[in-house]
Amino acid sequence: MRRRDFLACACCASLAPGLAAAQPAWEIPARFARPDAGSDEGGLWSMMDREEVRLRKSPFSLRDPKLQAYVQDIACRLAGEHCPDVRVHLVRTPLFNASMAPNGMMQVWSGLMLRADNEAQLAAVLGHEIGHYLARHSVERLRDAKSRSAFGMFIGMFGAVGAVGQVGLYAGMFAYSREHESQADSIGVLLMRKAGYDAAEAAKVWENLQLEIKARPDGDASRSPFFATHPPAAERQQALAELARASPGGAANEAQWREGVKPFLRDWLHEEVKRGQHEESLALLGRMIARSPALADYRWARGEVYRLRAKDGDLDSAVADYLAAIADGGEPPDTHRGLGMIHRARNQAAEARASFQRYLEAAPDAADFTMIKSYLEELRT
Amino acid sequence: MRTHRGTLVAATLVVVLAGCAAPVTKVDSGEQTVGDRLQVSLEGPWNQVRAPALAPAQVWTMEGLPLDRLLVYSGIKNEQLIHAEGPASLKNFAFRSTMQPDEIVAMFEGMLTRDGSSFKLVKLGPASFGGAKGFRFEFALTRRVDNVQLSGVGYGTVSNGELFALLYQAPRLAFFPRHQPRVEQMARSARIKT
Amino acid sequence: MRLIALPLSSVLAVLVFFAPGAWGQSKNLAPGFTSLPKGASVVIMPTDIELFSISGGGVPEPKADWTEAASKYFKAALLAKRESLGVSTVELADKDADELAEINLLQGAVARAIAMHHFKDQRGLDLSLPTKEGKLDWSLGETVQPIKKLTGADYALFSWVRDSYASAERQAAMVGIAILTLGRAVPLGGMQVGYASLVDLNTGRVVWFNRLLRGSGDLREADKAAETVNALLEEFPVAK
Repeated sequence: MRRRDFLACACCASLAPGLAAAQPAWEIPARFARPDAGSDEGGLWSMMDREEVRLRKSPFSLRDPKLQAYVQDIACRLAGEHCPDVRVHLVRTPLFNASMAPNGMMQVWSGLMLRADNEAQLAAVLGHEIGHYLARHSVERLRDAKSRSAFGMFIGMFGAVGAVGQVGLYAGMFAYSREHESQADSIGVLLMRKAGYDAAEAAKVWENLQLEIKARPDGDASRSPFFATHPPAAERQQALAELARASPGGAANEAQWREGVKPFLRDWLHEEVKRGQHEESLALLGRMIARSPALADYRWARGEVYRLRAKDGDLDSAVADYLAAIADGGEPPDTHRGLGMIHRARNQAAEARASFQRYLEAAPDAADFTMIKSYLEELRT
Repeated sequence: MRTHRGTLVAATLVVVLAGCAAPVTKVDSGEQTVGDRLQVSLEGPWNQVRAPALAPAQVWTMEGLPLDRLLVYSGIKNEQLIHAEGPASLKNFAFRSTMQPDEIVAMFEGMLTRDGSSFKLVKLGPASFGGAKGFRFEFALTRRVDNVQLSGVGYGTVSNGELFALLYQAPRLAFFPRHQPRVEQMARSARIKT
Repeated sequence: MRLIALPLSSVLAVLVFFAPGAWGQSKNLAPGFTSLPKGASVVIMPTDIELFSISGGGVPEPKADWTEAASKYFKAALLAKRESLGVSTVELADKDADELAEINLLQGAVARAIAMHHFKDQRGLDLSLPTKEGKLDWSLGETVQPIKKLTGADYALFSWVRDSYASAERQAAMVGIAILTLGRAVPLGGMQVGYASLVDLNTGRVVWFNRLLRGSGDLREADKAAETVNALLEEFPVAK
């Protein structure tokens, strides 16, 4: 296996714009051969293979062929010659995360797909992960992790579905180093540009994520699985912006992305709301509504978050969002249920009846049909 | 990660069952009282497991905790947590007397999904429970730690501001259909003692 | 086993050395089941094996070459046993195993329930379920039908093994810890954990179950792997 070390100097990320281009060009290595079974990497590789089999069979795996092919194609174009080695797995988890194991298994969590505004932003994250893969950072981490306990948790981070809690608790131990991060950033931007994406979107992804983290009451970044393993640092964002400025141009492909994820949006929003992390959800949804003011699903989702948080003034905000969703048209049936619940709590019988009636008409197969029907009957008496 | 997940589950469950008193006792057929207020009439015995980590629920099982669990809540008060205190990073779920059925279900859903499991409400409707107006719900739960798909049924009511409820979950294949009838019968027989 | 007229202390001593149920029905067998019928066919479900090396810091490191070898030896040893077990075996392709994913996961949960509630755990904690009355009484019911359909077998043998081996550094560290704690803390230098479960494909009943939990055993070499298989299949209900 050939290795290419990118820019031995650790301070390269903070160089002035333009200088990055002047450094000796980093070469994308040739495709990796399967490591010897006796080596430590070989052991890791085989374990990942077995995890991958489990992932494929897992009920948490998002197996929509069209969406999978779409994301696989993006990853493929980023990976270039390494395309045959990259296998994308979509996972139903409402958190921002993507990871790539040394055997080529790539996971993309639905929380990330919800948050990406366009193909370029997704490409930024996938490109970054491919960067770690191409520069073989994971193997280095493995060697470092050998001297630490909880190695199994390390595997859990690439491993399929046990990862959620473990990543939160142990990820800090296995965070990529700053050098690795800046290297992956640079490679990611390089891959983005080669694939025709606008590298300026890379810095935006981090910005958006920071917004959510800051909204947290405790502002604790490490609770995000992604940030725990990819420590955010102000310099990185700056470096990314500079790298992007050094190679302008490229597409964002927002329309294609929206079209591609449209069938899943409502589900993903529902999952996001159910997380119960109200402040983060409000930050996220606020951003999305600002970008697409007329999309009913976003309004409905934010209405739900306000209704569930129910702090001072929240119910009024919820009602405003629900009504906006209805005005936008194409609102989820749950919009009417949410409105109905608030009216009912406020003893606004007529409004509650009207909303519940609309809900039952719009969602005759709803799980809580009989419950809402009983509310309706109560309100009629 | 299989070995750690498997042993983690086993280890967690064993930790869950710590205690000097017999961890598992038999609950005989006939009239039984849970907590001091919820009375149920059992057709056939159950196994009660001492599980402080699942407090304030009483935990019963027929086939063992990795398979099925019946959580029984008796007289949960306003602002009381429906689970044991956990690490600060995990969200807490507390009952409030003003909660409507859908909010109580959402509260249980939150508790059941703290470990990343996924919950899907299948049915929710009014039902009598404990001799009072209450609700019944059905759900599907995919357990994150081992990917097993569970089916569940729950009953609940709020009486004098306190929550009385029971939740049963078991693998949707073989086990849930096997024990569901007795759970339904138990729920129908429930009475709240005032 | 005549215990009358023996002082209590020796009765207790005797009890310690006999697994519960050593007389009467074995703890490993379901009630009413003693042995496989002659000529019964058993499908050997792909074993879930993983071998680890434990480095000095106590970190278990997956060893692909060990695991691959172990899987090979384990399977060979299982197949070799078929003569002495008096059964014919059916092999299951990995592709077919995919279809049976949910059943396999369910079986895993059943095995964990049995391991937890039917056997004492390593700390001697007794979590037996009174309603089971000490019997091996678990069944997957009709859910096993797809396995029967796919293989035509009468029984299915499931197995799962996790094995870790102390590296030289680890062994040295263990000695160090033992010395420091005056022998009170004995860190696990390597543990073999596993189970084997025989399921009747007509009824879904677990008819035989064995749990392995020990500090020895070696799956890395063919002959030693055969020993592990023997331990796992100890008291397997040989066809009579």
